[in-house]
Amino acid sequence: MQSTSPGTSAISARGLHKSFGATEAVIDLDLDVATGAVYGLLGPDGAGKSTLIRMIATVLAPDAGAAEVFGHSVTDQRGKVTPRIGYMSQRFSMYPDLSVAENLEFFATVRGVGRADRNSRAKSLLESMGLAEFADRQAQHLSGGMKQKLMLASTLMHSPDLLLLDEPTTGVDPVSRREFWRILASLHREGRTVLVATPYMDEAERCTHIAFLDRGRIRQSGTPEQIKARVPGRLLEVASAEPRRTLAAVIALPGVDSAHLFGDLVRVLWTGAADPIEALIAGLGGTDASLTVRAANIDMETVFAYLAENAPADAAAVGS
Amino acid sequence: MKASLTRIGAVTNKEFKHLLRDVRTLAAVVLLPVIQLLLFAYAISFDVDNVPTMVIDYDKTPASSEYVRAYDASTFFKVVAHGDTLNQVDTAFDANTARVAVVIPAGFGETIAAGDKAQVAVLIDGSEPNSAKISQAYSVALNQLYDQSMTKSWAASQGLDLSGIGALEPRVRTWYNPERNSTIFLIPGLMAVIIAIVTVQQTAVTLVRERALGTEEQLLVSPMRRTELMVGKLLPWTLIAFIDVVLVILLGMAVFGVPLRGTPLVLALGSALFVFASLGMGLLISAVAPSAETANIMALMIAFLPSFLLSGLAFPLDQIPVVLQWISGIFPARYMVTIARGVFLKGSGFAELWPELLTLAGYALVMVLVAARLYGRKARA
Repeated sequence: MQSTSPGTSAISARGLHKSFGATEAVIDLDLDVATGAVYGLLGPDGAGKSTLIRMIATVLAPDAGAAEVFGHSVTDQRGKVTPRIGYMSQRFSMYPDLSVAENLEFFATVRGVGRADRNSRAKSLLESMGLAEFADRQAQHLSGGMKQKLMLASTLMHSPDLLLLDEPTTGVDPVSRREFWRILASLHREGRTVLVATPYMDEAERCTHIAFLDRGRIRQSGTPEQIKARVPGRLLEVASAEPRRTLAAVIALPGVDSAHLFGDLVRVLWTGAADPIEALIAGLGGTDASLTVRAANIDMETVFAYLAENAPADAAAVGS
Repeated sequence: MKASLTRIGAVTNKEFKHLLRDVRTLAAVVLLPVIQLLLFAYAISFDVDNVPTMVIDYDKTPASSEYVRAYDASTFFKVVAHGDTLNQVDTAFDANTARVAVVIPAGFGETIAAGDKAQVAVLIDGSEPNSAKISQAYSVALNQLYDQSMTKSWAASQGLDLSGIGALEPRVRTWYNPERNSTIFLIPGLMAVIIAIVTVQQTAVTLVRERALGTEEQLLVSPMRRTELMVGKLLPWTLIAFIDVVLVILLGMAVFGVPLRGTPLVLALGSALFVFASLGMGLLISAVAPSAETANIMALMIAFLPSFLLSGLAFPLDQIPVVLQWISGIFPARYMVTIARGVFLKGSGFAELWPELLTLAGYALVMVLVAARLYGRKARA
């Protein structure tokens, strides 16, 4: 890894803008990612996550605005940016007819990694990712999770300081997803900076910083704790025999900010003053003998559902 | 420089792997030229021989039989049927069992024996103008020959000696291809078309494929330059194209007896330049085509058709409309056809062919540079 002068942020973007025809994918966006962060870009499909990452990765030219990676412009100093970044696109983008080892070899060679380094890094990366026994398998015959790990391994072959990962875990089974995040955690410990886009809210908890993107703009950003703190009240789960009827009844109660179905449970965001468990049982009591209420931890899903519904007026106005 | 060569080498190495693992493509690029050559050479031959011929002999004398034998003896006509009435000619023409009919009227033998000029009717199926024209010419020639030999034998029977009589007889000689065998003329030209098909078609899809696979973006974040990618992709195809060239030349010489009168060096240089020009054209298509399907169709439209129709292969360039002659100038095939025919048939060398060689070299350079430029503009959009 190259040394990074202290105080330099890994990514600094100002006023980034990109349109595709009439669609504004990214709108006047500012982003700061500190060196060493695991920065999660959350948001639904079409929020602009990929467009943002591709502009920072130098593969897409912004219409307006500027972005710097370790102090170098992504448009005017591409040659200084690309050696220090590893970009993993959302789609599987390895050669399907080449083996795992051949793909690593090819991309590392064109990225200027010397032969000795190529061999030793490929070996250690494949081992640490549990891909060693599949080194000679053609990429097209890998499972979804293994394909993603191959892409990550390829991204890491030249030892980049900044990883730009575009939905690396989308469509991957839960076990592989956990495995993938374990690898990202170890990269974080090595001091690398990670910018990762994901549609999975639960993955936000694994990031040091997160930003919530919607319709081309960052709606919320901060540490997971800071963002959770923006949600007032407490979260409760109500179990009942007839969740739909319970949901209808709960929403009408005073002190309930919002409620939604979560599997067979009704999740209630309580902003009232009274003790919520007693108040809910009292309010719903009599309709259902099997009714139980318990407190739950506020998760990111709830946070973003709340924040989306209670979006600041300015954001809502310009976002449409 | 060393880093650049390493990257080009990596791309070339990778392209070879793609090719070797894709059995169908590999078979196509090696076998197709051979099959195309055989098909084209046999199917496109403009020679006419063994024209199925029907004979209707109303005379049925030794003289008429001898006349019919003259047709049979020529390699041009092949007597396939003997009929009794003219109606049978219609039927045979309709069924395509015969394309020429020779009708000998009654009294043919008597007329000849009397020393008079006998008449025969030769009917030709004109639905295929090329064969029809040639059939007519041959038939006239055959009758003249027969006429002369009969005149001689009549004179001999009358005790006259005609050898003393002066007769002016033209001696026509065709140079370079004395038998005027069209296969010999076609094969050097076909070489150009086959190279164009293999190279343009295959390289046309190569960059589109990188885009479709998403690997293009990974290459964009590497220090690799566009021209390095292009050159790396060109090298394996250059080799394949050369194998094809050698195959076609060997087949042409061994199977079709095409003579190689000039120096192979000029031919090799011309082929190399033409291969590069064609590959460059393929890359250009690949750089601008949005999908593999479009690339394929574009390759067909701008590589195959012009090299076939506007290269002088099928139609002499000075006999097509002037506008088409200009258009033919922008496709490299015509230069290659000229070079190939010059070297093979006329034994031409640098002294005669340098303008074509120079044009091809310039063409190749421009194609690769423009392709690299357009490819770069397309990415990052």
